[in-house]
Amino acid sequence: MHFLPQRSLALPLAALVLTLAVGARGGDVPDRWWAPGEGRVLPAVLDYENANGTLRTLTVGGPLKTAGHPFFEPLGKDGRACVTCHQPADAMGLSVESARRQWERTKGKDPLFAAYDGSNCPTLPQAKRESHSLLLDRGLIRIERPWPAKSFNGKPIKPDFTIEVVRDPNGCNSGPNYGPEAGKISVYRRPRPVANMKYLLAVGFPFDPKQGYALPLDPDDGKPQSGNLMADNRAGNLRIQMDDAAATHLQMLKALSPAQRKQLQDFELRIYTAMQVTKAGGAVDSGGAKAGPARLRDSEPGALGSIGEPVWSEFKGWENISADEAAKLTPEQLTFRQSVARGARVFREKMFLITDTAGINSRIGFGNPVRNSCVFCHNMSQMGNDVAPGQVDLGTTTLPFADPWDDLPLFKVTCTGRPHPHYGKVIYTYDPGFGLTSGKCADVGKITLQSMRGLSSRAPYFSNGLAKDLRGVVDYYERRYFIGYTEQEKQDLVNLMSAL
Amino acid sequence: MKRFALLAALCTATTAQAAQDTAGLVRFVACPVYRDTDAGRKSGCWLTDDRETGKRWDVTESPYKPDWNFAVLVEGKPSANTAQPCGAPPLDPVRTSRLDIPCTRHMIPAEGFPGRRYTLPRRNIAPASVARPVPPGPYAERTFPVYFEFDKDFLVYQYDDWLIDNAVTWIKAAKPKKLVITGFAATEPETVSGVVLAERPEAAQERAETIAETMRRLLPGLAVETKWEVAAKATDEPEADGLPWQSQRRAEIRAVF
Repeated sequence: MHFLPQRSLALPLAALVLTLAVGARGGDVPDRWWAPGEGRVLPAVLDYENANGTLRTLTVGGPLKTAGHPFFEPLGKDGRACVTCHQPADAMGLSVESARRQWERTKGKDPLFAAYDGSNCPTLPQAKRESHSLLLDRGLIRIERPWPAKSFNGKPIKPDFTIEVVRDPNGCNSGPNYGPEAGKISVYRRPRPVANMKYLLAVGFPFDPKQGYALPLDPDDGKPQSGNLMADNRAGNLRIQMDDAAATHLQMLKALSPAQRKQLQDFELRIYTAMQVTKAGGAVDSGGAKAGPARLRDSEPGALGSIGEPVWSEFKGWENISADEAAKLTPEQLTFRQSVARGARVFREKMFLITDTAGINSRIGFGNPVRNSCVFCHNMSQMGNDVAPGQVDLGTTTLPFADPWDDLPLFKVTCTGRPHPHYGKVIYTYDPGFGLTSGKCADVGKITLQSMRGLSSRAPYFSNGLAKDLRGVVDYYERRYFIGYTEQEKQDLVNLMSAL
Repeated sequence: MKRFALLAALCTATTAQAAQDTAGLVRFVACPVYRDTDAGRKSGCWLTDDRETGKRWDVTESPYKPDWNFAVLVEGKPSANTAQPCGAPPLDPVRTSRLDIPCTRHMIPAEGFPGRRYTLPRRNIAPASVARPVPPGPYAERTFPVYFEFDKDFLVYQYDDWLIDNAVTWIKAAKPKKLVITGFAATEPETVSGVVLAERPEAAQERAETIAETMRRLLPGLAVETKWEVAAKATDEPEADGLPWQSQRRAEIRAVF
């Protein structure tokens, strides 16, 4: 780990080993893991190594004293803080690797493994590893949603579908206290990164073309909401999100104070994270490339790549590397940079047929199928999230497209009104996603697109950890849409994503 | 004054007659065929066969495109442009509405046809960050129509959003006292390609409420009333593109001072 304002250097392996060897607190080298209440200072520039290079996190106006700061202090009864699941070394998210390391070094005592949502279900014996398998194997946190949903965007709603539990391997969707009959549904999701927030909050256009309405208004400030914060879009602004997180993940018994909310929001809007250096290709802001967290910090959010700066054109400078520049690079660096640049083009230009995907092929009128590329949805310059509210059903959580998982609950959704535009009247899903928020059968399985930054630091991917690595992401899209990527294109996409 | 009223009535009758004129237009129900042309993004072709005439039409220019799993109601006018980049004469203007009639999905190869390179349609809105020019006054009561797919209340991307964006820009400048949103539904049954088609009466209310909700979000604080009418008649508003059936499936935003 470096606290260096200048260009980062690779962390010596010995230091990394030392870092991993020290306990949850203490030791000569600051730990990768930020435990609640440590009182460390968050530097203005903070680098962490990962398998693909160096992730850099910038704190605008930093350094920040974390002592007493609500993001870093344990606020509830389970001893957790926000930072527990939003670790700087993990791009302000949580990698499964970090979760496993904390399990090993604390024998499962870390607050991360709190019974409420850090285990598969609070009813399970908490000392056993298998009771936390979803977190330890796929980085999943239990999310408890009320059912039936009663309101959305301030309006009362009556869901147009019913839910039955087909399979409940963890006990949190059946029994006296859990499941639809108890007014609760448990789904399991990856924590989303708390960084680069101005992009996730940015509003590009006044309408939500996927829902067929103007954007909903923020109940606090009356401005249009981006709809891009949470996997199921249950919170339209940071205040609602942090209140939700405090009451559930932190198990706070009282509400956050206005001062705490202000501190949290201020902090979350000051954090930028992205890869700064790739192991194979060097710094991402060198040799004509213009990526990295400083660019994120300094750019205007919310721009649509198709009418402005093309998505991932930060790497355009690596498309045609001059002989002079190439002479400064090792063959490995040159090859990697060329691959990343190709990957950016593949991302934008490799066309394929997108089929039976709610949020793309319905209800918005693009047609089913529609020919386009990754950038059709991952369309925001700099970030790769959706400029429009990004609720799309890729099938990652819903049969028949989702991979088989015997450790996740399976729900049977029956549409009571119009059938789902692609699945029909009955849907089998591991996670109804946005449908749990909007109450609409047509939204079942939709998950909000998220930031593509810092991916190297926070495997696995997709909301349910379906892809254990970046190649797994590409492979999922390949089998979902029969894209026909060549082996070279797949590797180029992996290299691109590793450099974000 | 009486003469003026008579003239106005005659004009209205003429307008209505013109709006109902379907000569030269085609309307049929068909299962869509997707031709897999590749001229870049959104360049696939949509073809539909009129069973009664045996003609195949290119309906790709519809703002709301088909779903290959469902039949579509096609309404359009044969284009004056004789080019056939999709391998069939195009309808333009054209509308396709998804019906709840299942179809066997069918895709055919490009067979040498290039398809159309995507260009932004005329009706596309600028990003929210771009200031809209203030429309000139004087301002007086005015009605803005918004159009829908058959039996739906969903805002059509790059059509309704553009119509509403223009309306909102004008309303912000004009500052009316309230908006009256009236939803219409074409509930009179008609047989098309052997299928009896009539919009649900509820569609009128759904359209009114959808547009009202959108206007409340775009113009918070402005009073919005809703009404609805069934058995909608056609109009000749230009943004219905001369398609009388499209003009029936509408909501009207009336700015009242």
